[in-house]
This record gives sequence, C-alpha cells and structure tokens, in this order.
Amino acid sequence: MKANKRSMTLLLPALVLYLITFTAPLVVLLVLSFGRFDKSITTLGFHLDGYIKFFEPTYLRVFFDTFFISVYITFFCLILSFPVAILMRRVQPFMKNIILFCVISPLLTSIIVRNSAWMLVLGNQGIINQFADYIGLNDVLRDMGLISRFAGLPLMNNVFGVVLGTVHVYLPFMVLPIYASLSAINPSIEESARNLGASSMQLFRNITWPLSLPGVIAGCTLVFILSMGLYVTPVIMGGNKVVTIPMIITGLVRDRYNWPTASAFSVMLLITILFTVYVSRLLQRSVKV
Amino acid sequence: MLFIVNALIFIFIFAPLVIVVIQSFTNENHMGFPPESYGVRWYAYVMTDDDWQNSFMNSLIVASIVAPLSMIIGGMAALGLDRSDFRGKQAVFSYLIAPMVLPHIVLGMALFRIGLFLDTSEGFTLNATDSLWFYVVAHTTITIPYAIITIGASLQTLDRNLEEAAQILGASYFKTIFFITIPLIKSGLIGAFIFSFIISFDEFIVTYFLATFNQTLPIQIYSTLMFQLEPSIASISTLMLALTALLTLVLMSRGQLVSFGKIIK
Repeated sequence: MKANKRSMTLLLPALVLYLITFTAPLVVLLVLSFGRFDKSITTLGFHLDGYIKFFEPTYLRVFFDTFFISVYITFFCLILSFPVAILMRRVQPFMKNIILFCVISPLLTSIIVRNSAWMLVLGNQGIINQFADYIGLNDVLRDMGLISRFAGLPLMNNVFGVVLGTVHVYLPFMVLPIYASLSAINPSIEESARNLGASSMQLFRNITWPLSLPGVIAGCTLVFILSMGLYVTPVIMGGNKVVTIPMIITGLVRDRYNWPTASAFSVMLLITILFTVYVSRLLQRSVKV
Repeated sequence: MLFIVNALIFIFIFAPLVIVVIQSFTNENHMGFPPESYGVRWYAYVMTDDDWQNSFMNSLIVASIVAPLSMIIGGMAALGLDRSDFRGKQAVFSYLIAPMVLPHIVLGMALFRIGLFLDTSEGFTLNATDSLWFYVVAHTTITIPYAIITIGASLQTLDRNLEEAAQILGASYFKTIFFITIPLIKSGLIGAFIFSFIISFDEFIVTYFLATFNQTLPIQIYSTLMFQLEPSIASISTLMLALTALLTLVLMSRGQLVSFGKIIK
C-alpha cells in the first residue's frame, strides 16, 4: 500500500506541469470564447458573439470546406494504407521491419520539409509541369483553354494539393492501426475460406475487411481529427486558394488580436473533434460483436 | 499486383524527399529540376548565414533540453501509472496523453495567451513569448505523451521478479528503481528521448504562435518559403532529413519503432 502511494507521487511532476501548460490555457481559452471584441478591445463576460459568428454563412462554409477536405484526406489515406498493411502482414519479419521503417521514418520528418518537397514536384515550375511542358502537353491544354497562359497543370494551390500533401503526411497514422488489426486475424480463417473456394475478392469482402474494421475506424478517426486541426499544409499547398478553420483562427489571433472569436472557433473545433471521437467509440462498439 | 501497388505507394512516399536531396546540391540561383550544375554552395550558405545559424541553434538548444526533460517527467509518470492502482487511473492516463490528439493549433494559441499574460503581468514580469524557455515548456507538454507511451510499453515487458528479488535482498524502493528498473527499461528511455527530440526539433505551429524574432528552424524554413522558393530550403531540409534518418536508425536498432506503432494504436 505504501509503495502504491509512493508510485502515485511519481505522477505529480507531469500533472503539475499539465495544470499550468495544458489545463489552464484551455480554461483561459474557454473563458475568452465568451468575451466580446469591440474596437480592438476584449472584454470578458458571457457573450455569444464568437459562436454566433461561427454560424455566419462565410465561416460555416469554411468549416464545411475543412470538414470535407478532411474527409477526402481520410478516404485517400484509407485506400493507400490497405495494400501496405496487407503486404506487411504477408512478408517475412525482416522485410516487415524494413517496410515499417519506410512507413514510420517519414512520420518523423518535419511537415514543412515534406510540404516544400511537394512544392518542387507539383508547383508551376515543378518537375511534373516541366515534364508536361517538355512533351508539349501544357501547350495543347493552353490552346484548348483548359489552363491559363502562364500557369501549368493545376496540381497545387488548390484542394488537390492540400489533400495530396496531407495524405503524404498522415499515411502512417492509417497504416499502423490497420496493420495491427490485420495481424490479429487468425490466418487459418482465411485459409479455410480459400479451401472452401472463396475468391480473392470474396475473401477480402467477407473476411479481411470486416475483421480489420477496428483498425480502420481507429485510423480514420485519428487522420480525420489531425486533418481538421492542420494549419501548415493548407497554407503551403493551398496557396491562399484554400481556407480552413485553423487558418481563420491563426489569422484572427496573429493579425487582428481578436481573441474571443478565435477562441470560440477553437472551442467549436474541439467540439467537432470530441463528437468525432464519440461517434468512433460507438462504431467501435458496434463492430466488436 | 500487390507488390506493384506497394511499389507505387513507396515511390509516392519517398520521391519528393529524394528530389529535395538532389535539388539541395544545385549550384544555380534558383530551384529547377534537374539542376544544371551541382555543388555545395547552398550548404555553405545555410551554414554561414546568420539567420539560418541562429534558428538552427535555437532549435538545437530547445530540443536538447526538451528531450531529457520529457524523458524524465514522462518516465516518472509512466512508472507511476504502471506501479499504482487507484480509481480513475484510466482517466489520468487519458488526460496525460490528451495533448497528442488536441489540435496543436488550439494548444499553441492558448499557450500564446498565457505567454502574453506572463509578459505583461505586474510584479513578476517574465518574458515568455519569443523566449526559448517558453518554447521548452510548450514542447515538453507536447512530447510527454510520447514519452509516457514509449516508456510504458517497455515497463510492460519488464520482468517484475527481478525487482522483487532486489527488494527481498534489502534494496530500498529508490535503490530498486535506480539500479534495477532504469537499466532494464533503457531502450524505452532512449526511445522516449529520441522521439521527444525529433518532435521538438520539427515542431511548427505552437512555436509559430510564440515566436516573433527568436525563430526555430521550421519557422525559418516557413518564412523563407513564403517569401520565395530558394535552394537554401532544399539544403536545410536535407540536413534535417539526415538528422532524423540517423535518429530513426538508432530507434530501429533499439527496437523502438514498434513502440511508435503502439503510440498510434
């Protein structure tokens, strides 16, 4: 019993730190979100100005843009992750480690570095456009009026660029949970299905996919949540053409010092995320028969 | 078929990084692929330029303090969670790893607010925003969850009999921790250290709120990037890639990459 108490005191440094750097800031944010911003001055109180602003058509639209971009990102991560996870399960342990290294090491690479890399590939002077110019594709498209005279293929500075850049960043967050669920499947189930004459398609639809659902749900939740809060990739890859909620929040704070509105938007973002986690829990429960 | 699809996916993952590395050795004034001539001129530039040097040093200092701090605080918390049993333990665990799922933009602006408060408060004026110590505090909060999970995973594989044996032979609680437990979870501790270092070194959005003049490397890259796509970005990116790749290899040799998988699960 005494050891138990001693061990509990080990939690103290972390809890004290969190109180100051995690809980307090969030409480401050919550309080600020009910403040009022008038002539560059913030007054506290219980006002719903910021929340009402969130539901103005302009901002609601940005919210749904952010939402759907996150859905696209999640969807494409899912499609790209499955083949990798399936391969990881099939190969020898040594190969598996190599794949694991390949999947995880980019995750430890700065987002900024990876996004600037994509600028080199997708930009107007990027590799793909240089190639398209070289083979004359861009001239043909310009003659047809499909792209403007000075631009190349529209590969970034739009939703496509943002989705692609983010998928590249968050792919590992999808691969790992799916792989974890796949590796929990008993291989003899698949073997018997095969012996009973199931085709590859049937095997995937009736065995692999349903049994991998816990991992799929976990991965989708994670990628979706992370995408909703991402700032840097939409700015770099979207080039002013894509606006997301985190960009609005950052602009309000850094350029206009409008804390109440920015805080209210943050609270709405957090509510969306908590709701996503709640839905994901319900889904997890329903697949865990 | 599966192999071809996977090959394409891995090309997707690595091609941009390879291109950055090649681009970084350009001798030209502008980005352009493939470069017309090669050289290390942009490496020389980023290594001698004051702005790049300062931001690199800032990042290095911050990450070097964050890594041990997060390892120690996170390690204590992981040990505390592993060894104690109380009501609401699961809730405490969820609370301690919450900064991982909280959008960092929200945490960043909230910490910025606290920093502004510290800057201007009467009586105990501390320069918080734009100072390295506040970056350290912020990054430590972000990295502790990773440390807790990594060290927690290695505590779970620990053979508790060894600790019991030491205690039966008369070792005190703290002696057991220092001479038995810590050496046995060394890999987990190293893992936590390296993860924290990398995450702090790469951290962007929280620092972006806090920084005005005292920039870290990711912020310096970002502001250069927004101004123009200069080859210096490719060179500095390659240096960062090399550093992370090296640290990742250390992690792999310690078998800690698997525990990163656990973080995500």
